[in-house]
Amino acid sequence: MNIKSQFKEGLITNNPVLVQQIGMCATMAITTSLFNGLGMGLSVLIILTCCNVVVSLIRRIIPEEIRLAIFVVVIAGFVTIVDLLLQAFIPALSEALGVFIPLIVVNCIIIGRAEAFCQKNTVGASFFDGIFQGLGYTLVLLAMSIVRELLGKGTFGGGLIDVSEGFRFTMDGSGAGIKIFSGEYGAKVLTMPFGGFLTLGVLIALMQYALKKSAKKKELAAKEKEVEE
Amino acid sequence: MLFNIISISLGAILINNFIFSQFLGCCPFLGCSNKTDTAFGMGVAVIFVIGMASAICWLIDTYILVPLGLAFLETLAFILIIAALVQLVEMFLKKSVPALYSALGIYLPLITTNCAVLGVVLLNVQNHYNFIESVVYGITGGIGFLLAIVLFASVRERVEFSEYPECFEGFPICLVSAALVALAFMGFSGMKVF
Amino acid sequence: MKKILKLTVVLFLICAVVAAVLGEVNAVTIGPITAREREKTEKAYKAVLPEGESFTEVDPSAYAAFRSTIDKISAADNGAGHVVETTFSGAQGSITMAVGVDGDGRCAGISIIKHSETSGLGEVAASASSRGVSFRESFVGKDESISIQDIDAITGATITSSAVVGAVATAIEAVKALG
Repeated sequence: MNIKSQFKEGLITNNPVLVQQIGMCATMAITTSLFNGLGMGLSVLIILTCCNVVVSLIRRIIPEEIRLAIFVVVIAGFVTIVDLLLQAFIPALSEALGVFIPLIVVNCIIIGRAEAFCQKNTVGASFFDGIFQGLGYTLVLLAMSIVRELLGKGTFGGGLIDVSEGFRFTMDGSGAGIKIFSGEYGAKVLTMPFGGFLTLGVLIALMQYALKKSAKKKELAAKEKEVEE
Repeated sequence: MLFNIISISLGAILINNFIFSQFLGCCPFLGCSNKTDTAFGMGVAVIFVIGMASAICWLIDTYILVPLGLAFLETLAFILIIAALVQLVEMFLKKSVPALYSALGIYLPLITTNCAVLGVVLLNVQNHYNFIESVVYGITGGIGFLLAIVLFASVRERVEFSEYPECFEGFPICLVSAALVALAFMGFSGMKVF
Repeated sequence: MKKILKLTVVLFLICAVVAAVLGEVNAVTIGPITAREREKTEKAYKAVLPEGESFTEVDPSAYAAFRSTIDKISAADNGAGHVVETTFSGAQGSITMAVGVDGDGRCAGISIIKHSETSGLGEVAASASSRGVSFRESFVGKDESISIQDIDAITGATITSSAVVGAVATAIEAVKALG
């Protein structure tokens, strides 16, 4: 298992949302602005990496029968830490994401990686797995947020970027974003639950299309090679 | 009081339906909705667990965690309670109500990771609901989940027989149909109790 | 049996370690969190009682008769008046509101903290009506005999408006009952 193939797996071929199809709830619920999407993505990335490392550290000493209970306790611990830190230092994000921060506990991505990967792999590999799977998750959240925000409200980078007095990043979620077109013409329905389901559906469909195409290409190339031989 | 309960119930079942407006419990919703029977079983199991979880977690939070100043352990305590509760319910049903167990059995373990259950319990704390309101919110939220999953399962059974682009096979077409059902549920927003 | 005991001990130990770590983190974050919450309430309270400075909560037993609708009464330390936090039923769900009551028992301002009414109601409540005063401003200076005719009710939200009027009257009564 080398880093490069792990990178590709996390981001593309085994992307948690688009390919494994887990961790959907938060993906659809909070991706209404770039600020929320990025905040949620990074929170999951940090929690996932920490949990991966800890689970892989203790993988030899925990009894088989209660491993799931132990994973849950470790995950809940890290989630609470991140939740408390966000409440204390980035309250705007904590308010925007609300109950979805503590709900990371039951996000299947984290327990799924603990069970499927960290139990069997070294600390180093688990660390990179956490980073890359987390990045894959963040990328999907970003893509969804950008699409929904642009088509729904006509802005880019809502909450994160403020251009009223020159370009600057706002860490308190107050920026209005870059206005691409007037909000009146936005399809507001995309920022509502309907848009969440639809955007994710289309995104997964695109991914399946791309994966199938590349698989076909490979098949074709292999066949050609066979013929040549 | 009665007014409050009616407005909480109506909100949880229709206006703020867990799945179609709050995105709580999407994983089992998408995973267990290919047949109406399965969907119904899952829905009933969720109502059962969610009702008990909201009652027990409310008691533990109000009488143990908050008085001891341990409110920061809420998430950890709640998830452990839910996991233990699901185990207990499973063992109890297996021994004393085998008929119900064979109907719900396979769905029970899945419920532990259903974010609707943990979500309700956390929302009860956030909204400062009292004991009765918490239980009502839990049970009616479960009913909303049941309604959504059964409705959607019937939609999905029909989608099976229709034609759609190849790349939409599987999850994407599900999500797109769910989007349309969510659009229908949007019609409930702005509904009044009077 | 021995095995179960061992498993329980392991699980218990892990829970204890996690709880201890969380306790440490909580000790670090509790300061900023409470400070921020305090700042937020102070700001909200100042918005409804502009002359008030630093608020202290009143003992709940002093307004026991009003506990069904009133969550909290805080007194301004400089004696400018009281701020009442009240939760009541609107048209579609409960509304939580802060009401400022000055020393003469008159309303100094209201602010809706949380509501589940039709979205956009908050903005309408704050914007000016045809007579040039907003729904919120029209409460200023009224006492407990306030009625729906005294204020600029929000068009199309009569039930909500009269619920707010009733809550303001109750809040003023509760403060007067404090003595």
